[in-house]
Amino acid sequence: MNDRKLSLGYINSVLYDLEKAFWDERGRGARFRVTTVGREYFLDKCLPKIQSQDLDAIIKAVEDVLTEEGIVLGQSHLVEDRLLHIRVEGCLHQDVERKLAAKDVEPFTCIPANLVALAIEQVLRRPVELAEIKLEDGVCNLLLVLFEPRDADV
Amino acid sequence: MERNELIQAVDFVIHERRSIRQYTDEPVSEEDLRMILEAARQAPSGENAQPWRFIVVKDPETRKLLGAIGAGGSGRRFTAEFVTKQMHERFKGLEDEEKRKAVFEKLTSGNVSAFLADAPVDIVVCGKKKVWDLPYDTSAAIENMLLMATALGLGTCWVIAPCIDIRDEERIKRLLDVPEDYKVISVISVGHPTRPHRPRPRLSLHELVHAEKWGTPYYKEEEA
Repeated sequence: MNDRKLSLGYINSVLYDLEKAFWDERGRGARFRVTTVGREYFLDKCLPKIQSQDLDAIIKAVEDVLTEEGIVLGQSHLVEDRLLHIRVEGCLHQDVERKLAAKDVEPFTCIPANLVALAIEQVLRRPVELAEIKLEDGVCNLLLVLFEPRDADV
Repeated sequence: MERNELIQAVDFVIHERRSIRQYTDEPVSEEDLRMILEAARQAPSGENAQPWRFIVVKDPETRKLLGAIGAGGSGRRFTAEFVTKQMHERFKGLEDEEKRKAVFEKLTSGNVSAFLADAPVDIVVCGKKKVWDLPYDTSAAIENMLLMATALGLGTCWVIAPCIDIRDEERIKRLLDVPEDYKVISVISVGHPTRPHRPRPRLSLHELVHAEKWGTPYYKEEEA
């Protein structure tokens, strides 16, 4: 098995090509097909760290994993009624979003956002929708919407 | 049937089709249902792969769950559009404030897709993944169904809301025991319309068709 560490440049260039290809295939609908990207990582790394049913604590647990693992340099959030604002600084994948934006492609997926959404959905059964990814001065500002808990059957 | 009559009949059916979201309680007959499914079976597919499979859902409890999944999907999608103000941009032409508010409420509530619970029949269209042309093949089959239903005097709606998001598609697959090597493409509601519906506006051929290369309209504005 080849266990050499991969360079970030290589990973991000492949991610960019994959995302761009998917955007070219599916356009604005692409975003709905990648909402579970990160699930394996979530189950492996994040879920075991979530010890509370409190919304803030759940989000914080994911933020801690992402910073401890070096995926982001910093992440913070603000809950405003049903809106969840997340600020991500120094994300390893930021270059992917930057390249997509340069090609006039709206960023349509974000691993930190997906991990937070997966956590809230899994623990609280509250659906979450990623509404916006804004890349500004090296920071990603994410807007997510929180919904009321789903019925058990659905 | 004479060729001219055939052309007129096809043209009529194509122009008469509407997306129907309100149905009477009258059931869909087995004869009609079979005609609709047979029309789907006759659709073209790449390599004649025929990757489509159909689940006929009549059970009220299952339809209720399909409606709930559809409403959830639409509600999330439209609420995201609303909070980012993209919805305001989309409906900026609608100047009546009350009407705009009503449209926003209807869309963000997700109720726009909840009617799957009330249609007498929902046909869940699935597609085999191990073929090359899955989305195109299944879309052709779906259009055949819509046209046959129209010819039969039935109403249909091609609903993607319950499965456009992979999370919702997973729910439907669990609900209906759809195997992993199949994808849920859409849900088609079928029933008797409660009332006639006006046609929705269409772009003109002038705007849609180019001559030889992109950029030069094939039809002049007055021809289209």
